[in-house]
Amino acid sequence: MGKTAELLPGTLDMLILKAVSLKPLHGYGVLLRIRQISRDALEIPQGSLYPALYRLEHHDLIAAEWGQSENNRRAKYYTLTAAGRRRLREETAGWNRLASAMAAALNTTSEEV
Amino acid sequence: MFKRFRSLFRALTRRSDFEDGMTEELRFHIEEYTDDLVRSGMSQGKAARLARMELGSLTNVKGDCREAFGLHLFDEFRRELHYAIRLLRKTPGFTATALLTLAVCFGANLTIFAVIDSVLLRPLPFPEPGQLVTLFNTYPRAGVERDGSSLTNYYERRDHIPAFASLAIYRYGTAIVGEAGSTEREQITQVSPDFFSTLRLGPVMGRTFAEEETTYQTNSVAILSDTYWRQHYNADPNVIGRQLRVDGRPKTVIGVLPPGFSFLSSEARLYFPLASRPQDRMPLERHSGGNVIQMIARLKPQATLLEAQSQIDAQNATLELDDPQAKMMADAGFRSLVVPLHADHVAAIRPTLLLLEAGVLVLLLIGAVNLVNLLLIRSSGRIKELAVRQALGASRGYVISETAVETTLLTLVGGLLGLAVGAGGIRLLAALGYDRLPLGARIAFDMRLALVALVGAIVMGVVLAAPIAWFSLRRHLGTTLQTESRGGTSGRSAQILRHSFIVSQIALAFILLAGAGLLGLSLERVMAVSPGFQSDHVLTGQISLSGKSYPDAAARLAFIENLMDKTAHLPGMLFRGVVNNVPFSGNSGKSAATVEGHILRPGESARGHYSYGVAGDYFQAMGFSLRAGRFLTAADSRRPERVCVVDEDFAQYYWPKTSAIGQRLWEGSQQGKDLEAFTIVGVVGGVKQAGLTEDQAQGAIYYPYIFRTDDKMFVAVRASLAPESLALTLEKVVRQVDADVPVNDLRSMETRIADSLVARRSPALLAGLFSGIALLLTAIGTYGVLSYAVAQRRREIGVRMALGAQPGQIRRQFFSLALRMLAGGTLLGLLGAWLAGRAMQTVLFHVPPLNLAILAGAACVTAVVSLAACLLPSERAARISPMEALAED
Repeated sequence: MGKTAELLPGTLDMLILKAVSLKPLHGYGVLLRIRQISRDALEIPQGSLYPALYRLEHHDLIAAEWGQSENNRRAKYYTLTAAGRRRLREETAGWNRLASAMAAALNTTSEEV
Repeated sequence: MFKRFRSLFRALTRRSDFEDGMTEELRFHIEEYTDDLVRSGMSQGKAARLARMELGSLTNVKGDCREAFGLHLFDEFRRELHYAIRLLRKTPGFTATALLTLAVCFGANLTIFAVIDSVLLRPLPFPEPGQLVTLFNTYPRAGVERDGSSLTNYYERRDHIPAFASLAIYRYGTAIVGEAGSTEREQITQVSPDFFSTLRLGPVMGRTFAEEETTYQTNSVAILSDTYWRQHYNADPNVIGRQLRVDGRPKTVIGVLPPGFSFLSSEARLYFPLASRPQDRMPLERHSGGNVIQMIARLKPQATLLEAQSQIDAQNATLELDDPQAKMMADAGFRSLVVPLHADHVAAIRPTLLLLEAGVLVLLLIGAVNLVNLLLIRSSGRIKELAVRQALGASRGYVISETAVETTLLTLVGGLLGLAVGAGGIRLLAALGYDRLPLGARIAFDMRLALVALVGAIVMGVVLAAPIAWFSLRRHLGTTLQTESRGGTSGRSAQILRHSFIVSQIALAFILLAGAGLLGLSLERVMAVSPGFQSDHVLTGQISLSGKSYPDAAARLAFIENLMDKTAHLPGMLFRGVVNNVPFSGNSGKSAATVEGHILRPGESARGHYSYGVAGDYFQAMGFSLRAGRFLTAADSRRPERVCVVDEDFAQYYWPKTSAIGQRLWEGSQQGKDLEAFTIVGVVGGVKQAGLTEDQAQGAIYYPYIFRTDDKMFVAVRASLAPESLALTLEKVVRQVDADVPVNDLRSMETRIADSLVARRSPALLAGLFSGIALLLTAIGTYGVLSYAVAQRRREIGVRMALGAQPGQIRRQFFSLALRMLAGGTLLGLLGAWLAGRAMQTVLFHVPPLNLAILAGAACVTAVVSLAACLLPSERAARISPMEALAED
């Protein structure tokens, strides 16, 4: 697991919102999807996944509904709400700004000062 | 925010769904993960173990999930609630004492608050009630503080005072309503056309009075109250235009008022136009108010009371320029005052109510101190338990919230019980005559009161929790855990705090007791005042004659003479007489009289005197004493010579050195014609006219009835037996004279005097009750603290006794502790009682703020009660057996 990066605080919510925005998912599905879209680079601590999901549901950013899983079992599926979609957009923009600013700052060479 | 509450609410109401869903979801996760691991080649057992391990402790995850929904707070609360209930049930003695204390303290406070709220706090039931003011004329140097307003005032001020949006006048009265034979006497109010628009609350059906309806030819219209409309017209929607008979004349219904309409304390159910003649509105009548007509006005939104007052002053100054009586009025200190309507209406009762409120707050304070003390004692019994729990990881917040949950649970139940006590208290108030206070009819047990109780209980719970939690937390864990005893020792500071609580309790109870004593003494002094006549065995009742059947003085006199004849030979009636107003009837008016040859001294103004017309044997019936000359007789109304009788105050004022007999005077403020002069033929003893506490002897003049008649009069009968027993006879005889004339307000003079003291007697009674409760609470507090001290020092006492201490020494030790607390409390109480006495001066009658007898009495009672409370614990201490005490623990 040498390639996995530590999650920055606050980024788990963002990743969950992103994962759910692509397709309604159950909790385990969210875990797999994050692994997939980060190309196995990000490892989610499983213990904090469900509290995060419950918090997002409580704040009305995602909605939960019971449905059937691929192998015909009852599972709780999460979908993005309108408020969640808005939040994801804001957070993505904010993250991109931060990331490019950080990249620019860290790539500064002595000539540019 | 709202959505979050909704999701929390849903999770709370479907709690089991929430829990089941969570369990199922986590199980699904583990099973899916296990399956995936197995598919990637792991053995089933290893995969399941790994899946579980990676998720971590299920309990923790579930806890975190619940917390995400805010559910954990409720779970914790429920746990604390169960714990608190278990604790309270384990100590039934403590719980019962605490609940009883709370019930009594809350109950007393809610009762008095209900009065304060309805009389002082709740605004009058009209839009923008703060803009409503009342105006009245005052002539302080003539001894007339309040003379209402005159019709002239009204017509001169209307539309001429820019600060007022509108202005109106009204007059309370009664009328005989209904067809002959089935008449009823009704409370009515006559109002000017702008009365309802000034209040901004008028008829919901029909219309209000018109300007053209203010003459005696056109005033045959009426507006009904909602209750009258329901009772007499069965809520007929077509009532407008129907007729009713008022004082024998037909009136047309033109409007119906909204339900619950009530103006100040008036119980009027019918409203008529206030009619007058053009000559009544002339400038000459400006000062003829006589406290009969009252004025209200509504300030414009931006206008202030001061502006209105200065505009009224300016107008008065201009108008008085060409008034022939201007000088005399100025000498009398004439002014027209503008004052807020609500405040003015309750001004007389306000100090008494505030005093009672202060009394119950002190009671609440004593109760709270008691509870804190009991709780402190109880919590020190659990020091070790708390220390162990803290050592095992209970957080400080947990200890605080646990304490708060327990105290709030107590105070909430106490508040509920207090509501029941309060409901009883309000009944008690009604029995004490509080519904007759200004706005007293509004006193009720309602939602507002319940809300106050709830908020009060919660606040009290938090306040009680603070010192307990503070004391539980500030102890050093290590030392507490090391002490061997189960209860643990309580610190010296806790002990000092408990003792100073007792001291303050004793002081507060002392203050209450001294205050109640002052009120009682004041009441006793008022009751010791002689009314100036023999008030026993006198029955009085009011009669009002309608203007139609009795248009003039002669007709009224004929009615009276007929009545006197018919009652002449009835058994039990010794003397019968008639007067415009009996003393203590609450509506004695003063008017001016001019004494022949009396020249006003510089700075002296013409004086208002109580003036009455009397018929029959009024003086003998009331038991007036004759000082000189003779009483008026029935014949004086029929003789051409004008005579009158004055009281000794009047005689003393005008003829301090000579006899008043034979002197002459005129009604009104000017010397009149020779023929109209009244010659004084008798001087009677001075009488308290308005109340026993009336300090100023204003002087009274009694004219033969024919010269001073009114459509209302009082009959007075001196009875040879209990006066009330003659009431039915009197009513029957009056009906015999005129079937349409009822007798109202039938009461003995003694009852009238007693009723006039309601504003003094009931506060004294309540204060006595409060101080009794305060003493009881103090006794409980002292007992509790000393018992605890004895229990805690059992071992020490045992050792001392084993070493040879005598039981007497032990007993003395605890007694001296009680004595020291008592001394401290009494000293503090003396200071407080002095302050309270000074604050109470306005409601006291001839009682100084410090009265030695009362203070000594209060000190004795407090001493007896608190020493009695320490008797049992110190006796128990003296009986401790060294063997047993040392063998324990």
